[in-house]
Amino acid sequence: MIYADKTTGVIVQGATGRQGSFHIQLMNQYAGSVGGTGVVAGVTPGKGGSLVHGIPVYSSVSDAMDNHEATAAVLFVPGPAAGDSIMEAADAGIELVVAVTEHIPVHDVMRATAYADAKGCRVIGPNCPGILSPGECSLGIMPSHLYRRGDVGVISRSGTLTYEVVHELSRAGIGQSTVVGIGGDPVIGQTFVDVIDQFSEDPLTKAVVLLGELGGNLEEDGALRAEEKDIPVVAFIAGTSAPPEKRMGHAGAIVSGGEGDARTKIRRLKENGVPVASRLSEIPPMIKHYL
Amino acid sequence: MKILEHEAKVIFKQSSIRIPKGCIIGKEDEFKSYQKKLAELGPDIVVKAQVDIGGRGKAGGVRMATQETARETIEDLFSKKIAGLPVTRLLIEERLGILHEYYVSITIDRAAKMPVILFADTGGVDIEETAKKNPAALRRAYVYPLLSDVPQYIRRYLTGSAPSEIGETINRLYLVFMAHDALLAEINPLVTTNEGVYAADAKLIIDDNALYRQGIKENRDLTGRERLAEEQGFSFVELDGTIGVIGNGAGLTMATVDLITNSGGRAANFLDVGGGASRDRVSYAVRMLGEIPRVAVIVVNLLGGITRCDEVAQGIVDAGVTQKIYVRLAGTNEEEGRKILSEHGYEMLDTMEEVVTAAVRAVS
Repeated sequence: MIYADKTTGVIVQGATGRQGSFHIQLMNQYAGSVGGTGVVAGVTPGKGGSLVHGIPVYSSVSDAMDNHEATAAVLFVPGPAAGDSIMEAADAGIELVVAVTEHIPVHDVMRATAYADAKGCRVIGPNCPGILSPGECSLGIMPSHLYRRGDVGVISRSGTLTYEVVHELSRAGIGQSTVVGIGGDPVIGQTFVDVIDQFSEDPLTKAVVLLGELGGNLEEDGALRAEEKDIPVVAFIAGTSAPPEKRMGHAGAIVSGGEGDARTKIRRLKENGVPVASRLSEIPPMIKHYL
Repeated sequence: MKILEHEAKVIFKQSSIRIPKGCIIGKEDEFKSYQKKLAELGPDIVVKAQVDIGGRGKAGGVRMATQETARETIEDLFSKKIAGLPVTRLLIEERLGILHEYYVSITIDRAAKMPVILFADTGGVDIEETAKKNPAALRRAYVYPLLSDVPQYIRRYLTGSAPSEIGETINRLYLVFMAHDALLAEINPLVTTNEGVYAADAKLIIDDNALYRQGIKENRDLTGRERLAEEQGFSFVELDGTIGVIGNGAGLTMATVDLITNSGGRAANFLDVGGGASRDRVSYAVRMLGEIPRVAVIVVNLLGGITRCDEVAQGIVDAGVTQKIYVRLAGTNEEEGRKILSEHGYEMLDTMEEVVTAAVRAVS
């Protein structure tokens, strides 16, 4: 598994909101079921001293860090304040921030990821479902009952599409090492390339499913890195029937200035020898070939 | 959201980027009401349609005129459509004595996660053509996003032998880009004249996620139906087919639209209801599609750990639309959902491929 494991202590930023408190409960249920550490503290400015599902809440990340062992943070803070919260976590010594929040202004993401980078903190997301390593840990909002432990890594720009594929993989008897939702925004912290680098150091992972979509060309970069690192990859690209200049749900899913349309992306991947599934149901048999 | 030229120029001017003297007129304005302002622009003028398209010049949206031919040119442009768009406003400007034209744009590079500045010695033309024909004329530089100004060495690298005022203007454009949450800030052409450097044109696109702090209340880029959907927290894009699509999550909804296309059908729309698909929201979404005349059938494809299938099923039933609905639900309470749907004559299928196949067959 990559990024985190059973021993990882987690802080939740935006702990007292509806989403934050709901997912603290789910993440800790999962941690309990696998004997992991899970969420040890919450942070909401001004709400220090309260409890959420039995977890103490602090007013700042550094207060939480003074009282608990934590290396990761999961962020549910609303968009306008989220960039700031990423920087706060990085400043307090958090090594991994999983930013679930959607609708963060892209300039805030650009500044916050540059700042986190300078502090040696990795950011996953924003606008992502987080990461889940079956049997180890869940940081984010992924529905854990669909997952089973195994040797396939999954990297995805999307949430529900990931669940759909994980569901298909699990039903076909193919388990997952770590599933990483890198987020649907134009600027994100960890990209396909970074996650491939992590998988290349992971003895458990034998092959990787790369779930991309229209917009940008980070999928192609990730596939090239996988080839360099000798990791077999099967790709799927959503958005082949999307019209240009229209944002398809994700802020990053837009064909703009002729760049990043899904068909071109698929063609480039195939030219580089990457097998690309044309429907989701083809992914399990294609990946099985490499196991 | 795309900002029109005359609005972008107001923003540029506030940031000390020099713009040509000009005035903005509406289709309903009487000639007499702006005749005086027009006369102040000098003998030679440029009349520019304020329509939001690329290649506006080529499409006939920019005309050269004189004081004598002004009225005729204005009336002619108002009577035309430019690339299919009606012209409701014109920007009329003084004609500059141009010595040289340059190109500059700033966008965000996804891989570098930084603003990237593109500069070319030849402006006024299609930059992609320049990139192909004369790649050496095009220079590119990244700016670390925590810097407050474009460093001098980057300005020198970009502008080469161009006057130093060009470098200053690039920095001012960078300040506009950063302060206004821009996804694109472009001047094409950026021109030198005997009076100094001018932004002859202006393009600005603001991040939709930052409109709230840029004082923009309504996103003009959305159609009426798209705006209505946004108020509900949906992502909605109109397409031109006959199969309505409702999904949760952008990726899964896109994949559903793609699967319809690959199976020989055409989707009428993309509608992502987002997380927490409740009874009311699903019902609203179904009714929204039900009201679109070209929608013949509707595909609902919802998947999620926390989506309650009985709630969703009830929402579909509540909507009571006349179109046939093909439903795929996966989540909690699946059996209750299936029961509710079948009691009301709706069919629930197990996989995404099954619903799509059934819907495509129904319309073909």
